[in-house]
Amino acid sequence: MDFGSFLSAPELKLKIVTYRDIFQNKALIEDRFGEEYIAKSALIKLDSVDLKNLSLKKGETVILKNSFGKVVVKAEASDSETPHRGIAYMPNSPWSNRLVSTETGGTGVPRFKEIEATVVSAKGEKITELEF
Amino acid sequence: MTNAMELYQLLPKTNCKECGKTSCMAFAVALLARELTVDACPPLKNEPKFKENYEKLKERVSPAEGATETGLIVHEELCFGCGNCVVACPVNVANDPYGVGSGNAPKDEKKLILSIEDGIVRAKNVDECRRFGKNKILCTGCIVTCPVEAIEFVV
Amino acid sequence: MEKEYYVCTGCGLLCEDIETELEKRAISKVYTACRVGVAHMKENPGTAKFWVEGKNTDEATAIGKAAALLKAAKNPLIFGLDNSTNEAQKKAIELAKKLNATLDDSSSFSFGPLMAALLQKKFKTCSLDEVRDKADVSVFWGADPSDSHPRQLSKFAYFPRGKEKQRGWEEERTAIAIDIRKTHTAKICGNEFYQVPLGGDAEFMEALIAGLSGKLPKTSYKYPPKKLLELANLLKAAKFGVIFIGQDLLYSLETLAPLFRLMDTLNEKAKGDFFLIPLLEAYNMRGFNENLFEETGFVNRVKFEAGSVKHGPEYSVVESLKAKAVDAALIIGSDPLANLPYSIIKELLEIPLITIDPCETLTSKKAQVSIRSGVSGVEAGGSALRIDGVRVAFKPVFESKCPSDEEILFKIMEAF
Repeated sequence: MDFGSFLSAPELKLKIVTYRDIFQNKALIEDRFGEEYIAKSALIKLDSVDLKNLSLKKGETVILKNSFGKVVVKAEASDSETPHRGIAYMPNSPWSNRLVSTETGGTGVPRFKEIEATVVSAKGEKITELEF
Repeated sequence: MTNAMELYQLLPKTNCKECGKTSCMAFAVALLARELTVDACPPLKNEPKFKENYEKLKERVSPAEGATETGLIVHEELCFGCGNCVVACPVNVANDPYGVGSGNAPKDEKKLILSIEDGIVRAKNVDECRRFGKNKILCTGCIVTCPVEAIEFVV
Repeated sequence: MEKEYYVCTGCGLLCEDIETELEKRAISKVYTACRVGVAHMKENPGTAKFWVEGKNTDEATAIGKAAALLKAAKNPLIFGLDNSTNEAQKKAIELAKKLNATLDDSSSFSFGPLMAALLQKKFKTCSLDEVRDKADVSVFWGADPSDSHPRQLSKFAYFPRGKEKQRGWEEERTAIAIDIRKTHTAKICGNEFYQVPLGGDAEFMEALIAGLSGKLPKTSYKYPPKKLLELANLLKAAKFGVIFIGQDLLYSLETLAPLFRLMDTLNEKAKGDFFLIPLLEAYNMRGFNENLFEETGFVNRVKFEAGSVKHGPEYSVVESLKAKAVDAALIIGSDPLANLPYSIIKELLEIPLITIDPCETLTSKKAQVSIRSGVSGVEAGGSALRIDGVRVAFKPVFESKCPSDEEILFKIMEAF
């Protein structure tokens, strides 16, 4: 019997910072519905210690969730030389936008860049498909 | 980077001299210097028991085989064609000051070492490179200006 | 043989020195452009395509349906145009006037306030050619041109020889990156990379102002004052300084006031002048802002109404959708279903959509009418404004049957 499944998976609070990546942009132009774009977009880069604490291996999926939405993306350790626990990086994409707040205070400017969310292992769940 | 000892470990270590070198260690050094190729060792190439090591060696040494005569290797999968190296290369600047030297498309391509084709840097005319020839110097103009370490020199 | 150069409309730099090779009416090889530019120029060119309700149709049907939807709407929204020519933008402004429409672009949630200040001359700005010829200090703040404008450093800001910069970047230029993470651009800046904590930019600006004014630069996150003073002195010594502002900085600042104060202080204390250039990403966002500004005095977020024009956050794409104030949308060269928060997208899916775009997008797939237009600079000619406001005209690389955005807008207006 798999007792592990009864234990609640470790969860972390994150500040997600979005960024742009040239190879993601290239993939977007070449085929915005293609595999390469998904692989370079539906992605979160965590501090390696955070990744370990979530008992995740590179390339496994995670659920990112906040009151605005939920999304399943791949997790990776970031290649940053300086530690950044609690902060994670995510390419700007329709996946990161699922977590962006609608609360703009009437300014017309959503907070695209700094997103608060929780992260937990998705236990093999697949990357969220973009459907409307 | 690969060193001679690592290569030696994968050789037959029989010092059979069939390659023309006096020992397997000498062959390893020659491999590293790209003086000889892996195929120059007949036992390694022909005997089935060395097959695994032969393939490993091929893999280790192959980037160098693909290198230019100055040892310049472009990791194409990393390069995104920003052109920093093209514009910063002192030889490029000297040979095409108003083209690439000024940040523009090449005006005089004849002696350019680096240029961008299909979004990736290409090396040619490497005999013009300052790391080549009798008066060579360890110029690093194209390496330090690269944001993604796409250019490497192997020795 | 004289070389033939084309313009890449892959980003706001509008590189005008691109050579191409053609094979069977498609670009097979691109010289000098970066990877993004190459992907952009090789973007599957082809014939015009028209869809109504997801089904292939002819031009007349699609144009007729688009016109009918817009005419039937009480408060239509026209959104996008940052990736359209000046000519198409002007046509869209004309259409917005005719329809009493709300008109907005992506600068609404990025560079809008900075562009408004720029056009109102609240700070000094200069051209990229001046940067190449004269700049000795370039600062990239919350900006990573290596990823967003790949040739920016090699063509203008750091590596090229310029009229007054003949001795090369090592001797005559300094590049400085200020960012929350070590970007590709920061890597090139080497020791001149100043890492600021998340949301710490405004304070960093205030501390720099203090440092420039001979006071001790203090921050709540205890940034080493010595390092801040070194930076202040570096900036002070500049004979021709430029600050390139990226989108990331704009999201970090609550107001632009500290940035303007910093620019004023720099111009007061530094040896030479300091200029600011926004690193706009879409190839003609500058054009949209300037063309609309010329017409209305505003850079975005307008609503036309019987000869007058209203402006404010309530006319932004986000707020007007949230408030359900618009009842149809014409989207040109933009993919809001990919770029806006999910909750706003839901509102967009409630109203009829018309898209004009060179490629299929998440938005075009959901549109009632979708029209494939020619890629600017490849299949269609026109002009655009580079990020520094310099006008760049371009011709198509090859003749295409694909209509330009401008032609499509013209036909929609004719069909009213």
